[in-house]
Amino acid sequence: MLEKELGPRIRFFPLPCSGRIEPLHLLSALESGADMVYLVTCPEGVCRYQEGNVRARKRLMYAQKLIEEIGLERERIELVVTTDKDLLTIDGLTRGLILREAIVDPSPVRVKKHKGKYMDSYKGVRK
Amino acid sequence: MITAERKPLSEIKAMIAPYRKILVVGCGTCVAECASGGEKEVGLLSSALRMDAKMEGREIETKEITLDRQCVYEFIEQLSGLVNQYDVILSLGCGAGVQAVAEVFPEAYVVPALNTTFIGETKEAGLWVENCRGCGDCKLGYFAAICPITRCAKGLFNGPCGGSKDGKCEVNPDTPCAWQLIITRLDESGRLNLLQAIHPPADWSKREGKGPRKIEREDQKT
Repeated sequence: MLEKELGPRIRFFPLPCSGRIEPLHLLSALESGADMVYLVTCPEGVCRYQEGNVRARKRLMYAQKLIEEIGLERERIELVVTTDKDLLTIDGLTRGLILREAIVDPSPVRVKKHKGKYMDSYKGVRK
Repeated sequence: MITAERKPLSEIKAMIAPYRKILVVGCGTCVAECASGGEKEVGLLSSALRMDAKMEGREIETKEITLDRQCVYEFIEQLSGLVNQYDVILSLGCGAGVQAVAEVFPEAYVVPALNTTFIGETKEAGLWVENCRGCGDCKLGYFAAICPITRCAKGLFNGPCGGSKDGKCEVNPDTPCAWQLIITRLDESGRLNLLQAIHPPADWSKREGKGPRKIEREDQKT
């Protein structure tokens, strides 16, 4: 429902456990045009599968290091550690993330260089 | 297993800079085990290179393929028909793999994406440790299968140096003293008498100074 309401502004990719994430998943999201990629995990210590969220954090850090090497800000991949309360209101969590995203510049991967027109129209949509 | 690590992206970029069509070739054996050149790493590197090109306003095209073994001609043959469609082959194989691909396709420009590092074992997930120098004169049978050439910082053959502390090497306190390990294992298995033998210095002529080594066996030839 939320995806329908917010349209192309956000995509959800449910995982059985955050420990299933691979750095390539995060890079693929950025490559396909995402400005930001959020990995939402349970708090450490409460993983149903022991340490899925610990592994997820380490893989996320690896992906951050890799995108930094190509000149992308590491902040474009962000770990969001939820509380039990957040999990019950994924709707609220998502809306909060989208509001924060508004301060991030469009991804240079998506925004072609020397195409000011595209940039301008994009900014318009964001307002 | 042969271990390797990915080169800095800047070095890889500099090698492939003049080219638009890039064949990214991984190896599914040693370098996949040490998470530097398998299918996942091929995907990651390709994605990073494509994004980097986009950010610089360039267009590149990548094709990803991972061979079971990049150092064996029968597997390299799978690249036939692909190689001539690409400007450069970016190999995520070890040094042997890179050279074998270039040998099979001498007309192709093959560049390495990895720095080949050492022969080692997977100690635990995410940890690889060197344990063989490939000296060509293995003495593991005398030393409880613990190589003093590789695992002793001083490469001693005839007992410990005396500098270890709490079972750790004085050169690198993170490393267990190889001689402590050798003596403990021989003692526990009742083979301490093996240490009575005196071993002359290693014969490095079997490894060094004669160019590349080779193994030739008539029974394996076709």
